[in-house]
Amino acid sequence: MMFFFLFSVSGNASNPEFKKKKNSECLLRLRHEGLLNSCPAGVASCPASSCPFRSPRSPRLKLLESALLLGPRPTAGGMEFSELIRTGRAQAELLRGPGAPPLRGTLCVTGHHLLLSPGPQATSDLWLLLLRSVDSIEKRVAGDSGTITLRCKDLRVLQLDIEGVEATLDIARSIEALSSLESVITSFPFFYRPKGLRLGDAWHFHPPEHYYKRVARETNAWRLSEVNEDFSVCPSYPRAVIVPRAVDDDALARSARFRQGGRFPVLSYHHAPSGTVLLRSSQPLTGPQKRRCAEDEELLRAVLAGARPGARGFIVDTRSAQAAKQARMTGGGTEAKAAYPGWKRLHRPMERGRPLQESFVRLVEACGDLEQSMDRWLSRLEGCRWLAHVKEALSTACLAAQGMEREGACILVHGAEGTDSTLLVTSLAQLILDPLSRTMTGFQELVEREWIQAGHPFQLRCAHSAFSHARPKHEAPTFLLFLDCVWQLGRQFPLSLEFGEGLLLALFEHAYASPFGTFLCNSEKERCLCEVRTRTHSLWSGLNQPKEQRKLRNPLYVLNPLAIWPSVEPQSLRLWQGLFLRWTRPPEPSEAAWEKVWQIVTDKEKTEGSQPTVSASEPQP
Amino acid sequence: MMIISLQSYRSYKTSRDGVNWDLSEAVPRLPGETHVADKEVIYICPFNGPIKGRVYITNYRLYLRSLETDSALILDVPLGVISRIEKMGGATSRGENSYGLDITCKDMRNLRFALKQEGHSRRDMFEILTRHAFPLAHSLPIFAFLNEEKFNVDGWMVYNPVEEYRRQGLPNHHWRITFINKCYELCDTYPSLLVVPYRASDEDLRRVATFRSRNRIPVLSWIHPENKTVIVRCSQPLVGMSGKRNKDDEKYLDVIRETNRQISKLTIYDARPNVNAVANKATGGGYESDDAYHNAELFFLDIHNIHVMRESLKKVKDIVYPNVEESHWLSSLESTHWLEHIKLVLTGAIQVADKVSSGKSSVLVHCSDGWDRTAQLTSLAMLMLDSFYRSIEGFEILVQKEWISFGHKFASRIGHGDKNHADADRSPIFLQFIDCVWQMSKQFPTAFEFNEQFLITILDHLYSCRFGTFLYNCESARERQKVTERTVSLWSLINSNKDRFKNPFYTKEINRVLYPVASMRHLELWVNYYIRWNPRIKQQQPNPVEQRYLELLALRDEYIKRLEELQLANSAKLSDPSTSPSSPSQMMPHVQTHF
Repeated sequence: MMFFFLFSVSGNASNPEFKKKKNSECLLRLRHEGLLNSCPAGVASCPASSCPFRSPRSPRLKLLESALLLGPRPTAGGMEFSELIRTGRAQAELLRGPGAPPLRGTLCVTGHHLLLSPGPQATSDLWLLLLRSVDSIEKRVAGDSGTITLRCKDLRVLQLDIEGVEATLDIARSIEALSSLESVITSFPFFYRPKGLRLGDAWHFHPPEHYYKRVARETNAWRLSEVNEDFSVCPSYPRAVIVPRAVDDDALARSARFRQGGRFPVLSYHHAPSGTVLLRSSQPLTGPQKRRCAEDEELLRAVLAGARPGARGFIVDTRSAQAAKQARMTGGGTEAKAAYPGWKRLHRPMERGRPLQESFVRLVEACGDLEQSMDRWLSRLEGCRWLAHVKEALSTACLAAQGMEREGACILVHGAEGTDSTLLVTSLAQLILDPLSRTMTGFQELVEREWIQAGHPFQLRCAHSAFSHARPKHEAPTFLLFLDCVWQLGRQFPLSLEFGEGLLLALFEHAYASPFGTFLCNSEKERCLCEVRTRTHSLWSGLNQPKEQRKLRNPLYVLNPLAIWPSVEPQSLRLWQGLFLRWTRPPEPSEAAWEKVWQIVTDKEKTEGSQPTVSASEPQP
Repeated sequence: MMIISLQSYRSYKTSRDGVNWDLSEAVPRLPGETHVADKEVIYICPFNGPIKGRVYITNYRLYLRSLETDSALILDVPLGVISRIEKMGGATSRGENSYGLDITCKDMRNLRFALKQEGHSRRDMFEILTRHAFPLAHSLPIFAFLNEEKFNVDGWMVYNPVEEYRRQGLPNHHWRITFINKCYELCDTYPSLLVVPYRASDEDLRRVATFRSRNRIPVLSWIHPENKTVIVRCSQPLVGMSGKRNKDDEKYLDVIRETNRQISKLTIYDARPNVNAVANKATGGGYESDDAYHNAELFFLDIHNIHVMRESLKKVKDIVYPNVEESHWLSSLESTHWLEHIKLVLTGAIQVADKVSSGKSSVLVHCSDGWDRTAQLTSLAMLMLDSFYRSIEGFEILVQKEWISFGHKFASRIGHGDKNHADADRSPIFLQFIDCVWQMSKQFPTAFEFNEQFLITILDHLYSCRFGTFLYNCESARERQKVTERTVSLWSLINSNKDRFKNPFYTKEINRVLYPVASMRHLELWVNYYIRWNPRIKQQQPNPVEQRYLELLALRDEYIKRLEELQLANSAKLSDPSTSPSSPSQMMPHVQTHF
């Protein structure tokens, strides 16, 4: 059914008049809904020089531009990407790297996909690639044929040998144009209608509200505030946030004005065994005059008062002391000791932004470089510094978790904007401490609550993966770093996570390019404007289908009620081969092992059932 | 704090090894083990600082128990592990804990004990330890000869060469079994039973022996069940500076080539780097030249000699013990070249296996003497080619055959009971082989019946001297010492408690050739072995994966048993012989849960 409409695309003539009308309509609506007056990523109020993603153009402009420039809208019978599609089809051979046999057939570019349909005699199915997942494209022509190399956001490298020079160039141009569309509302998730899923399913996830129910059972010191109902207090926060009961909404609004992007301190996790809490925010806007904000101070005082008596607080700043001090010159800064009695600052510098993206690019380059002489691999791996970032992230998370569990202290985490390293630390600390967050649903809720709803700007950070030739602007693999850290936890505690590598790989893929709407946009506000919840499918409903479970779950899982303290020694951290070397090694052995584990566990369930119902003709395990 | 649980876990393990664990006794004791001395010392733990304890020395082990109430530390070190004992500090040296003993071990750790300075308090401890750790220098027997342990399985029965060759389909009309070396007169470092080409007479063999270093003539190690291509092992030809030739050797290699008619050339893999092979001519050795051996193709595999490997491992120890080099871990690891050597060995074995399996060519492997690198290459190639060797007993047979019977010089390489720690003959060649096996088992998690614990146990007893398995340099010496009568085999310990060493995810596959990826990207340092003494790298204690694996294994066995019962019920229609090799009769005795 889906294929049907994809194929119909190229045949559909566009109607410029109609398109224009749709465009202006769309713009009007955006303006009406207030997008022009606010900044999607909360950068507008951000002191420019403290932002690691400096760009001459604000992301707000970007979003609007894309909405203006391209106006393909869904129409009754198909879409109007046809003017970007230079050629409909060509004969081609696809090489997919080691292990997979080459595929021959008719290549076809549609609005959102690249398709290869093998000839009628072939047995294999249609091959399909989401154009959005193409990170970079390289074309070469020789004689009367050409070669296109596609480097995908999931780090796959594909090669297409195409008959005809013109066809090659046309297809390359079409892919180039279509894969870099930045408009959200014309992206594939708005058209994806898979069988068996209903629109709106799993969007009932309201993590802050849902999580609040749990917190309310454990303590009375916190309340759910809807001060951000219309996203006016903090454009990157969700509608509801959990705050100290003693602080009213007016005070929150004033505290928000004192924090970059309005990200005032909110509850991230309540650690019931020690009665302490984990909070996150952005930096205070103390500035060179060392401004103070009574409401902000009151908020943090109330946090300590609400925790166990005599509780102390630690502010984990993810910048170095020097960087935090320097931020004052541009309007930011850090909490003055005298203003926040009971709170002590700790600096744990973590790299983010461009250095992180560059580290990722270098690592992927090193992993893909098959010429690399063998004796330099380890120092090259070290030189990429990726594992050093993993170590930094895990040890800062351990610090935060230790503060709560061992010292009985409340922890506030922030860096500058509070949308990257901060979320990395708070989410990892929860995984270490909270057994519930290590379950399948708990982890999905954690990702939804601490990353998606917490305003990690996925659209900006994941615009490109490691292959893009363009200079990185806002791209940074913060979320991938989080997934890698989780993978390290899973490797060190093989029984304690209910999900397996499969889920982490899926999240990586979907964060960068997905048919689902979950990772679209930069904040809840943008998602509301784009009506993501009502017009796209949720990734969670896609992943939680029974047929996906074997790939995603950890068959060895047993509930571990304890905190899992990872070892962060360099020899305990490994390169995540399953991700970084995924496409360069034959996958069979590890897949076979996975299959085997499942088989044994399923056998176990069978034997545990009342009476074994196996018949003698069934294959032996 | 971590170390406590680690140690108690270890003691839990040893108690299952058949040790008399009497709680009233201070020290666990094996039958035949006798108490020699005990003394109060300070153990300078590199991870937790000085700990006061009492050390008990028996003729088998050094055992330390902490006397401090807040630390339950226990050290249990077989004396065979000790390579060197040194006195540190003098009677007048100042500083706390500066006077005592410094013990270097073969298993990647050192032990330091501090004693009271007055009255030469360390002298007797030093002497007792030296006597029992290095019995050879004091005309004392190695502990394996005193060990009176009894097991319900006899590990010495595991390897029977005739049976193993029969399993390979030998003798056949191209290959015969010869008893020419029955009394080890042809070659004193070879086993008594050899497989040679049918068309080569015993007289031919004797003449070939004169042209091969230490008479180690080319003999069959393994034959491909379908291609009938073979892996043949030997030592280097005695070409020398003058470039000597030997018609009998040339003819003999041609006879080997002719046993397989699929390809016109015999492939010779010389494990050494080209330059080393050339250099060996100066001492009378060399390699097969093109002019002399028309029908052979020679390749060098660039694997370095025992001295290079020893130095490399020494560097590994430097960066992992006691403290792990933190700031530049990966580049320090790279500078040891250990993984690079592993890569070269694996690459060589892959080439051998590939030539035999896909290239359909017979292969001759040698290095200089044919007992170090050659053993690594043939045994690893056989492991890749023949799934039988990936079972627990199969692996034991492989070690027993390619390493022990073919004269890998365990006594010289390990230095059992010998005080000469700087002996240039010592080298971690066998450890390197086990490391390669571990790398393979990482890449093929379902292909091996055994687990990591199995490999670590083999390595622990490579040094411990508790079993006779790895004693002496060759079969003839072992026979003279009546090792099989007077000592216990390591395989007795392992096979009488196989469950502990089983990989629950093992899937038996016949005829699957494993080609591991020998790229640096896919090799990793075996942290659980090389850095196991460092409590910081331990994660969950006690190892829950192992426990869960055992659980799963027991459940699987139970499942198989039930399935078997159902099959018996319908047995009339099911008489498929293909299921019988994996028959549950092997599995059934192990259906028990021990947690």
